Amino acid sequence: MTVALQQLVNGLTVGAFYALIALGYTMVYGIIRLINFAHGDIYAVGAFLGLSTYGLLRLLHVDNPILTTLLGLVVSMGCTGLLGMLVYRVAYRPLLHARLSILISAIGASLTLEYGLFLIYSPSFLVYPHLFDSPGMALGDISVSGLQIIIFVSGLVLMTALYVVVHRTKIGMAMRALAINQDAARLMGIDVNRVIAVTFFLGSTLAAFAGVLTGLYYSQISFLMGFLIGLKAFTAAVLGGIGNIPGAVVGGFLLGVLEGLAAGYFSSRWKDVVAFGILIVILVVRPRGLLGERVVERM
Amino acid sequence: MRKWCAVVAVLALLVPVTALGAGAQGATIKIGVPVPLSGGNAKMGDDISKAATLAVEEWNAKGGVLGRKLEIMSFDDACDAQQSVTAAHKLVDAGVVAVAGGYCSSAAIPASAVYHDSGVAFVADASSNPKLTDQGFENVFRVIGRDDQQGPYAAGFMMKTLKAHRIAIIHDNTVYAKGLADATKAALDGKPGVQVVFFDAITPGEKDFSAVLTKVKSLKPDVTYFTGYYPEGGLLAKQFKDLGVSGKFMAGDANNDPTFVTEAGAAAEGVFVTSTPLPQDLGTARAFVERYKKRFNQDPGPYSALEYDAVNVVINAIQRAHSTDRAAIIKAIAATKDYKGATGTIGFDKKGDRTTILYIPYIIKGGKFTPYNVSS
Repeated sequence: MTVALQQLVNGLTVGAFYALIALGYTMVYGIIRLINFAHGDIYAVGAFLGLSTYGLLRLLHVDNPILTTLLGLVVSMGCTGLLGMLVYRVAYRPLLHARLSILISAIGASLTLEYGLFLIYSPSFLVYPHLFDSPGMALGDISVSGLQIIIFVSGLVLMTALYVVVHRTKIGMAMRALAINQDAARLMGIDVNRVIAVTFFLGSTLAAFAGVLTGLYYSQISFLMGFLIGLKAFTAAVLGGIGNIPGAVVGGFLLGVLEGLAAGYFSSRWKDVVAFGILIVILVVRPRGLLGERVVERM
Repeated sequence: MRKWCAVVAVLALLVPVTALGAGAQGATIKIGVPVPLSGGNAKMGDDISKAATLAVEEWNAKGGVLGRKLEIMSFDDACDAQQSVTAAHKLVDAGVVAVAGGYCSSAAIPASAVYHDSGVAFVADASSNPKLTDQGFENVFRVIGRDDQQGPYAAGFMMKTLKAHRIAIIHDNTVYAKGLADATKAALDGKPGVQVVFFDAITPGEKDFSAVLTKVKSLKPDVTYFTGYYPEGGLLAKQFKDLGVSGKFMAGDANNDPTFVTEAGAAAEGVFVTSTPLPQDLGTARAFVERYKKRFNQDPGPYSALEYDAVNVVINAIQRAHSTDRAAIIKAIAATKDYKGATGTIGFDKKGDRTTILYIPYIIKGGKFTPYNVSS
């Protein structure tokens, strides 16, 4: 029982990362039906920009861990958000109506970002500063670290904020309109390109947030870090029903917990096999994902 | 299948080129150094190729060997089986007379077959998997110990010095890590009062090992021994502490790197590492360490002294063979006896394994790898 609870805690932490990244996949897919392969790498860029900000702040002798973390998050999220918009402008917007070319363009963007990091930063991995070096608190036999709580809670807050933006603001309404019918939305006077750019911005900031927290939590980042997690986050988005925001969150947490339990009760080598095996079963039973892609009103 | 056809075709193309390359007189004598220069182990590769450069520069300052200058040719093997085979072909193609280097066993073993087919001597500096020399290739040697020597050493240290009864072993399914883990388990199995409670692998490149460690925690081990490489080792040590797993954390020789400490932070304190002694801790290597620091303005890495010796063994063999003929060099290396290297006396047995080899335990104290005094 203790093992199961501990694996649940581990799984929820990993799941928070998956969910934050899955949101970016799902929003972009919902609006322009594009699988944005570069999104995992956007997450990696976020982590590296956070590290750069830390380095800069250390040069300026700003040592307060909370202040540096907040600044690191803000700078990284802002810059990564703008980068997401730039990727859209350069790699996707000219190809919006060429279904296959835009997919290839996405793979190109992904490789460009990966090997850009490789060249600018390092071919090897880099190590984040240990700002919150506290061993886990013991709750009975279960240990929970402060960072795990921060990741889980702040992740939920951001996800809720995104939900509010999409459902309670004007730009959110425009996004939902676009998801239903792009031509109709344009005829209603919605600036389609601006709305898509904002979607990329929001998705990229969430990924950057996950990136910086990854650095703080695991303390190791590398130029290829976005590849595997991007794949898993994409899976999580499909699992929850791609194009569906609550679905991405549920899918992310579910995948994280499934992996944890699989590693705990089978073997960590079989972790991906078991987790993805269950996913296949779920998708066979519910091809549209757990919460389903809302056909009329996606997102 | 098609891939193999391609490899064979490339090989066939290379044969005339290498035949031409080896004949030139008066040109530099080339020694190949395949190392990982990209990927997670790039720093180790850099340390190794620097040591090779130093060895060759010292010989060249004395006028080279056989009246010819020496040259190092370094190619990236990325610790990857496919890329190491490509790098091996490139080296053979470039006309190297012998090869001294390599880091990961998973790269060195496939590459050794290429060197064997082209009749080039291969002196491994860091590849410790038994398979490398068990293939029966007469051209393969190593200056490092074998995992089936480190395994029993680690097992003995855990049983006798750490007085461990319940031992967890984690590897990462790479050739080196699995080999060391198997050798350690074999040495522990059947010993009275000792039980291997956990034996499983993590996936290299991942960052979250909490699921595995939670399982380990529930088994309440006295010692957890990780046999993989330091990029994962540092993370494991940190998450081991965070999760509050019982007992001590111990790691194999691929974790003997300062990055392990920066990654694990405070959790690195008190971690044990079994390793061949660092150059700094070897009396015979003191002069080498001084020269290395002076030349590169940094401390040598854990395998630098071994690579320095590997290159020197090759050059020494060229001198004794009075020839740059590849076959003559292989013979001369096999005949190496009582060579006084930076890591001690070097000689090879029939398989090409080093006859004298030393392991010591390190403990991380104040963020530094400190030799651990077993008797205290």
